[in-house]
Amino acid sequence: MIDLSAIVIFFQNIPWMSIILTLQWIFLAYFLAINIAYLALNYVSVFSIIGYMRDHRAEYLPKSLATYQPPVSILIPAHNEQGTIVSSVHSLLGLNYPEFEIVVVNDGSSDETLEEVVEAFGMVEFPEAYRRRIATKPVSRIFASARFPRVRLVDKENGGKADALNAGINCARYPLFCVVDADCILQQDSLARVVRPFLEDPKTVAVGGVIRVLNGCTVHNGFLEKIELPHSLLANFQLVEYLRAFLFGRLGWSPMNALLVISGAFGVFYKERIIAVGGYRSGTVGEDMDLVVRLHRSLRREQRPYRITFVPDPICWTEAPTDLKSLQNQRMRWQRGLAESLAPNFGLMFSRRGGAVGWLAFPFMVLFEFIGPVIEVLGYAAMIPLYLFDLIPLTSFLVFLFVSIGMGVLLSTNALFLEELSFHLYPRSGQQLKLFGVAILENFGYRQINSVWRFMAVVKWLFSFWAKGHWGKIARDGSWQRHADRAEDHPT
Amino acid sequence: LLNLVGTDPKIVFAFWLGVAVAVMTLLMLAVIIVMRQIVLHRERVHARALAFWKTVLAPAAGSEVAAIPPLPDRDLSGFLEAWNEVHEPLRGETTPHLARVAGEVGLEQRLYRRLTHRSFHTRLVAIIALGHVRNIESFRHVEGFIDDKNPIVSLCAARALMQIDPPRAVSKFVPQIVRRSDWSQGSIASILSEVGADNVTRELSEATLQANAEIAPRLIRFLASVNPDAAAPIIRNTLLSSADERLISTCLQVMSKREDLDCVRPLLAHPRWHVRMQAAVTLGRLGVPGDEQRLIAILSDEQWWVRYRAAQALTHLSFITREDMLRIERAQTDKYAKDIIEHVLAEQAMSAAA
Repeated sequence: MIDLSAIVIFFQNIPWMSIILTLQWIFLAYFLAINIAYLALNYVSVFSIIGYMRDHRAEYLPKSLATYQPPVSILIPAHNEQGTIVSSVHSLLGLNYPEFEIVVVNDGSSDETLEEVVEAFGMVEFPEAYRRRIATKPVSRIFASARFPRVRLVDKENGGKADALNAGINCARYPLFCVVDADCILQQDSLARVVRPFLEDPKTVAVGGVIRVLNGCTVHNGFLEKIELPHSLLANFQLVEYLRAFLFGRLGWSPMNALLVISGAFGVFYKERIIAVGGYRSGTVGEDMDLVVRLHRSLRREQRPYRITFVPDPICWTEAPTDLKSLQNQRMRWQRGLAESLAPNFGLMFSRRGGAVGWLAFPFMVLFEFIGPVIEVLGYAAMIPLYLFDLIPLTSFLVFLFVSIGMGVLLSTNALFLEELSFHLYPRSGQQLKLFGVAILENFGYRQINSVWRFMAVVKWLFSFWAKGHWGKIARDGSWQRHADRAEDHPT
Repeated sequence: LLNLVGTDPKIVFAFWLGVAVAVMTLLMLAVIIVMRQIVLHRERVHARALAFWKTVLAPAAGSEVAAIPPLPDRDLSGFLEAWNEVHEPLRGETTPHLARVAGEVGLEQRLYRRLTHRSFHTRLVAIIALGHVRNIESFRHVEGFIDDKNPIVSLCAARALMQIDPPRAVSKFVPQIVRRSDWSQGSIASILSEVGADNVTRELSEATLQANAEIAPRLIRFLASVNPDAAAPIIRNTLLSSADERLISTCLQVMSKREDLDCVRPLLAHPRWHVRMQAAVTLGRLGVPGDEQRLIAILSDEQWWVRYRAAQALTHLSFITREDMLRIERAQTDKYAKDIIEHVLAEQAMSAAA
């Protein structure tokens, strides 16, 4: 029989106060560390953006001769994209760039994606001598068009986004390839801007661009015409989040050559280097980040000089989800993608040749992006019993909340400041005040619910990791391009 | 409020940290709003001046302007943008009417002052504008900037110097092309094409002959684009004597003399695939009867790109018809060779249909 009194005595003997005190210090130290890290990134970003704007504010030099601009293969993976694919390809054909080809990869769509492209561009089957440099699901047919010689269409079995991109890489003819999601909106000079780092530094192997929120803007003929703030509050929250994520989340790492994420929605890569690391890894939802982490790891191991760069120009626009369910799916997917990219590349952390990636960016991702939501949610959750059992005074909780929310607002305001220093896309005072209001409001509920979703994703991922002993199995149902999980990127 | 916070030092510290953060946030918001208003005001003034001076300068590019209005300081940035915009399409030509405008508004003296301005943008616009003024006197004011660490400043200065006094500037520009790996190649090529072959050939040829294998490909490319005849002997010499595969590849890409094909043919068997590929492309461009057999031989190369370019090269030879290609395809026993010919023929049919 269980001796209840013994249990009670056991619990009474636990030094609760000292445990709570220790935990308090741990939480405090973590809180300080995460905010100092973000502020430091912000500090680096201010200098980066000032330098970037200084050099690229105007076209000071005569236009580069066309023969000196490398040709680019634009890859569009498409699964059940019948509604958007034709207009996307049409808008890409209007890009202002001397030489490029568009390779649409139909990843086993069950709708009319293939037929729509074939009809719209007058495509016919083409006897291409296909090179299978990266293993993919079987490619059944390749189409080309006499009317639109820049466009090619690859028809293959469904294998997921990574597999579709690998098939696209196999078909790409040019030394650089650009990945674009079918529902992204570009600007006519987007490609020229994102290719520029390859011209400025021959060591460049990959370049990422900023993804901006499209909601509220006007699009004409597939190109952005007018920039406005979104109407929905949820989309506005995401807009501030994107500003924070891209303007200092990425720009801060770029000068240290420690950028770990290049958007799956828009990025340019040096093809041979990607083939050398085996292309995109299938069976993961975070194939974009995984690729960049592997690139770093492989190039550092081989001790090759390289640059992975970030271009802060607003060059790619995507629609943010406007309902909570879609947003939840998206955020949980991103968190899982983060975990799936970090776990297999854990060898990079504090590795001897890791440089800034191994010693700063990777630990930052693990400590603050992966574990961060867990600490935050546990911190909030612990407050309730601690308060109920009178182990912590309400004042302490409120003061901590005050500082935490204050830091959140400060970081978002810093992002608005960076935006003002650079592109000021939202120039009216009314827009700025609205964004500031959003930067405050997002700390009351939105940020916390995001942390809960990310926490859930971490738990789910850990569960599948331990249960199956691998990185998790992805059901390849093509959900990577459904409206719910749209295009987007990972604001961190 | 302080009474509520209590005396626990951790809580007091956190409270004051929160207050500091809140103050910083409000301060930053104020900075953003003030900065925006300043920028908006400047942009309005600039846009007004730009629009006005465009209407004055655009006609002056072609004909005499009767009366030139005074140029107040607040209009200078708009004037300079209009000045540079009007000159860009002229591509090196000078117009006496624009020079008169510059003289009347006292442009040069104002630009010299701007060369020492702390704003990067102001300095650069002044350098570019001085290039367009083309007064020999400006050379000494601009020449120091060619050594600037920033590649954009140094390249803009190089361009301005080449506009002001090409023979004198080229002796500064070419050594910098050799030294500066951070200069964008497209921009260098643009500047070289603006000043023309006569001004740069001698210096560029000498530099190419003296350059090491790392820099020589860049220089050969520039030389071949401004003066193919001057590049030809250097290319021939390189193809005969160099062991550097990157240099050989570059020479193959830019060579234009059929007389040098003898140096190309052996390269179809080069151990590096990109050299074989470039040799095939060159034969396709310049080849003569007999070369088709050499290209047919590499249709079975282990590298896709070599096979592809060899097949393309065959179709580019003027004496090879579509029927010849079909005959060559039928004669192939290797599957890869057949596939690549089929591919290239389909491409050819596709472009013909287009």
